Amino acid sequence: MAPPAASQRYPSPSQPSGKSEVSDLKTQLRQLAGSRAPGVDDSKRDLYKKVISYMTIGIDVSSVFGEMVMCSATSDIVLKKMCYLYVGNYAKGNPDLSLLTINFLQRDCKDEDPMIRGLALRSLCSLRVPNLVEYLVGPLGSGLKDNNSYVRTIAVTGVLKLYHISPSTCIDADFPATLKSLMLHDSDAQVVANCLSALQEIWSLEASHSEEACREKESLLSKPVIYYFLNRIKEFNEWAQCLILELAVKYVPSDSNDIFDIMNLLEDRLQHANGAVVLATVKVFLQLTLSMTDVHQQVYERIKSSLLTLVSSGSPEQSYAILSHLHLLVVRAPFIFAADYKHFYCQYNEPSYVKKLKLEMLTAVANESNTYEIVTELCEYAANVDIAIARESIRAVGKIALQQYDVNAIVDRLLQFLEMEKDYVTAETLVLVKDLLRKYPQWSHDCISVVGGISSKNIQEPKAKAALIWMLGEYAQDMSDAPYVLENLIENWEEEHSAEVRLHLLTAAMKCFFKRAPETQKALGIALAAGIADFHQDVHDRALFYYRVLQYDVHVAERVVSPPKQAVSVFADTQSSEIKDRIFDEFNSLSVIYQKPSYMFTDKEHRGPFEFSDELGNISITPEASSDIVPAQQYEANDKDLLLGVDEKDDNKGLSNNNGSAYTAPSLESSSSISSQMQELAISGPATSATTPQSSFGFDDLFGLGLSTAPAPTPSPPLLKLNPRAALDPGAFQQKWRQLPISLTQECSVNPQGIAALTVPQSLIRHMQSHSIHCIASGGQSPNFKFFFFAQKESEPSNYLAECIINTSSAKAQIKVKADEQSTSQAFTTVFETALSKFGLP
Amino acid sequence: MLQCIFLISDSGEVMLEKQLTGHRVDRSICAWFWDQSISQGDSFKLLPVIASPTHYLFQIVRDGITLLACSQVEMPPLMAIEFLCRVADVLSDYLGGLNEDLVKDNFIIVYELLDEMIDNGFPLTTEPSILREMIAPPNLVSKMLSVVTGNASNVSDTLPSGAGSCVPWRPTDPKYSSNEVYVDLVEEMDAIVNRDGELVKCEIYGEVQMNSQLSGFPDLTLSFANPAILEDIRFHPCVRFRPWESHQVLSFVPPDGEFKLMSYRVKKLKNTPVYVKPQITSDSGTCRISMLVGIRNDPGKTIECITLSFQLPHCVSSADLSSNHGTVTILSNKTCTWTIGRIPKDKTPCLSGTLTLETGLERLHVFPTFKLGFKIMGIALSGLRIEKLDLQTIPPRLYKGFRAQTRAGEFDVRL
Repeated sequence: MAPPAASQRYPSPSQPSGKSEVSDLKTQLRQLAGSRAPGVDDSKRDLYKKVISYMTIGIDVSSVFGEMVMCSATSDIVLKKMCYLYVGNYAKGNPDLSLLTINFLQRDCKDEDPMIRGLALRSLCSLRVPNLVEYLVGPLGSGLKDNNSYVRTIAVTGVLKLYHISPSTCIDADFPATLKSLMLHDSDAQVVANCLSALQEIWSLEASHSEEACREKESLLSKPVIYYFLNRIKEFNEWAQCLILELAVKYVPSDSNDIFDIMNLLEDRLQHANGAVVLATVKVFLQLTLSMTDVHQQVYERIKSSLLTLVSSGSPEQSYAILSHLHLLVVRAPFIFAADYKHFYCQYNEPSYVKKLKLEMLTAVANESNTYEIVTELCEYAANVDIAIARESIRAVGKIALQQYDVNAIVDRLLQFLEMEKDYVTAETLVLVKDLLRKYPQWSHDCISVVGGISSKNIQEPKAKAALIWMLGEYAQDMSDAPYVLENLIENWEEEHSAEVRLHLLTAAMKCFFKRAPETQKALGIALAAGIADFHQDVHDRALFYYRVLQYDVHVAERVVSPPKQAVSVFADTQSSEIKDRIFDEFNSLSVIYQKPSYMFTDKEHRGPFEFSDELGNISITPEASSDIVPAQQYEANDKDLLLGVDEKDDNKGLSNNNGSAYTAPSLESSSSISSQMQELAISGPATSATTPQSSFGFDDLFGLGLSTAPAPTPSPPLLKLNPRAALDPGAFQQKWRQLPISLTQECSVNPQGIAALTVPQSLIRHMQSHSIHCIASGGQSPNFKFFFFAQKESEPSNYLAECIINTSSAKAQIKVKADEQSTSQAFTTVFETALSKFGLP
Repeated sequence: MLQCIFLISDSGEVMLEKQLTGHRVDRSICAWFWDQSISQGDSFKLLPVIASPTHYLFQIVRDGITLLACSQVEMPPLMAIEFLCRVADVLSDYLGGLNEDLVKDNFIIVYELLDEMIDNGFPLTTEPSILREMIAPPNLVSKMLSVVTGNASNVSDTLPSGAGSCVPWRPTDPKYSSNEVYVDLVEEMDAIVNRDGELVKCEIYGEVQMNSQLSGFPDLTLSFANPAILEDIRFHPCVRFRPWESHQVLSFVPPDGEFKLMSYRVKKLKNTPVYVKPQITSDSGTCRISMLVGIRNDPGKTIECITLSFQLPHCVSSADLSSNHGTVTILSNKTCTWTIGRIPKDKTPCLSGTLTLETGLERLHVFPTFKLGFKIMGIALSGLRIEKLDLQTIPPRLYKGFRAQTRAGEFDVRL
């Protein structure tokens, strides 16, 4: 893939090879150098233009360096600019000749015209020749004191350039201190902004070996400096505003007043015409309120409309960048965006990358009230001309079906897809129907009758084929011709290129055999023989394993290969919430676009602020290097397949990752002491008691004692230790609340003091927080208040969610509890009630 | 922090390269990029932000020209993209368009502009009015050449003072002999009509565009008769936030020349001015199509430039379409455009014909989406009305002008 240095594209055959032309130019320039004839500037300009255009095309014109410099004695500013451009481009390669330019650049730095002074200073600093730095200090020093702000602006950036060439020269000349005083006192906003940008960079690089720089760097984040910038943010241009906002993100506010002050100062930035400013402001808002749950939610509401506006008003490229960020927020808090689903409808002309993001967001915001309309919309895309989007939208329908309880209508839609007779539509749908059946086995009857009508010959894609074969095996008893279809497929074993499909064939043949032995025996025999002879090691191993288990005992084999299964309640998420949080922290950066935190895609060398070496820029592009990002995605995709797809032993895997509710926990009947029970429960981890009456019985019994006296006036220290610093974002809460069943409903009375104290919801929130129970949302007015609380176990990330409705006139509280671990929900309820009973007591 | 900006022509040739930092970015990156975009079929389909083995690349495409920026460090992606969009806007403003020839003819100006717009990888000023003061646009140059002196420098002698004034978007003291200010309401209607003919979404995206040629330091107030209908508002930096918050009045000191004062959206409109009724029936390999277009709600002004375009599905092998009004063209890439123009008084424009499907296909499974285009001068369909435009101090010979127009934006009619 590495393009040869002189690629076929440039210089193209029609373009001059350069050599003779360059030497022509050289002689012509030389003739003009000394001339003072009238009109000489015009001819010079033509020649310069030629030189620059060669340079632009990519022809090396460095050999005329000397002549260019000789001709540079001119008063014509365009000539000067062209000369600066040329010099800047080639100085680095000709350090000796560059010395020649210093002279005229230094002279220009003292020109009357501030524009020339500025341009000359900029070019001088852009030479980037290490052994010439001594000539920079003088002009830079006077540039910083220039009475024209344009020159000062350039000088400030020049200091940064000098620092990159030679840090010691820059520090020795005490430029950082000068910049600091300029930053705090200069009247020109652009000068101030450039100072900030330069100082940030210099000090963070210096900080590694200088304590003073470290202190200075911190001081940029001090309250007076931050407010100095924020108070006058409107004076800066939009790009400088971005810079200031980025600084503000790092600021740690002292208290909540501080937070609200900053948000008030910045609120109108949300309506700025420049998307970069808006997004930077959004980041400040989100980060500031991270610890204030209810305000954080208001922030979402506030920024929502700004972001949605940006999406629809810019170019597709801008929309994409904003949509990526919106996507992150939508996935975190889908309920906030649920009413805005129409914003995510795809328009025909949008590029597919925009459509793809929109589809994902439509999936995320689907809830009970809008599902019907969203699915209707998605179904229209399935007949779309753009095949990739058609596929995505079918997947989206499937994902929505997996999210919702009411899948009735969606299943019908999916089955209609199968009738469209488009091979890619059929393929995608089959995969989805398979996943649906794993979650909602009750639909098997409807699905199987349609799936049974599909001819396996029309399905070519491995994934779809595998899905069909899985269904054939799993529902062999309901599909009359299942054994024969399988037999057909097995006979074509040799032509089946995908190992995944062959693995599925083996398993399906086994399952079918257990249900309809006489009809399948022959096919199974062929499959096992072919499998054992297969060159793919997994296929070989599995075939051999099946063969031996069958030999050992058919009933054991059945128990191993085809045990009764319980429906999968939640499919494993592809991205851990930790990673999602990392991405959220890196809001307004590339991480959001790539949907992975920066440590996953930036190399160490690139991560440090500006530590890249020159070589990096020039390394040729090798195929190995180009596999940088793509394989990571592939790997993820494979991983997902493993979790979602292959066969029943993966169900296990998915569940154990995932607090599933199916597999039985070890029984705990004979434990005597609470502590040992707790311990054992902790070990059994995410397993739940839904199917283990013994264990929950044990617990009920133990806590039942406590319950009879509850709410105890002097309760012993709570049996359940809760994490005082639990964290759960609203999105995760919402999702869990939807997914988990109610494990307890309780009604209790609230003491009169509590009722008296409950004039606003906040009073109870603070009280519960002191008991490590956190509020995620609250609302209502006297006499009815409604709260959503959550808590986490101290030792492990196991969550409790509670809805609490308090009626102050009847002094009653209704509590609904949901828990990751059902077995401890009683314990949590006790803690909750105890905490509630103390509300209002001194 | 951007390291380099490339301008690439639609044939993949690097037209211009501007190195921004000490770390040169080798041109080979463009070759890598071009290979990528070819492998994607179309550079327009390529993601705006991609990662090459050595750099993160940001790209936008305008009129076939790709603007490519490279960076090696984390940076806000939107900042890079916004900046490139501004560069494209400024360039096409300066060069009177954006294409290969224009860039190549004026590469010196492009260099000069980039030099002022970004320094050391950080955007400086992108405000067109200030740039125009520093670097004269090429057409002005030629004028100066012929009229004023023989010295054809395209750099003005005075320095922009905008950066120094406390209103960064306005040059210090422009002078006009006659003071003129124009306000244009330019609206676009975005709509989706679904297969059942239902209006799923209908919104207006509007902009208030102004052209201000006022001397001195004017302070303007613009108010609307019905500001309550506006949503999702975005302002030019010159607009003061508080007056809008408290009584929905736009108070501002305008930039000089043309600019976009605000953009807004009006949602949940119930009606479209034009209706489209497509019908397709398919049977045994052929497919009958008929389509009616007419006025649904007469806006009171003439609806012009009505067009209807759609992509024929891949499985259509040939199409025979004709209309009783306007012209129908089918391009080789199966894009079909029906140009109607104005709707005649005496008949309803109708397109009809047959599509022949590829052999083996009985019925059509993939349906086209029709894109409607139209333009109505003199009316803002959102219903937004400007109440008045006031100047704090009235300059001599003041002329105020107001206009409005609406056109179709993304108007999809699905089948």
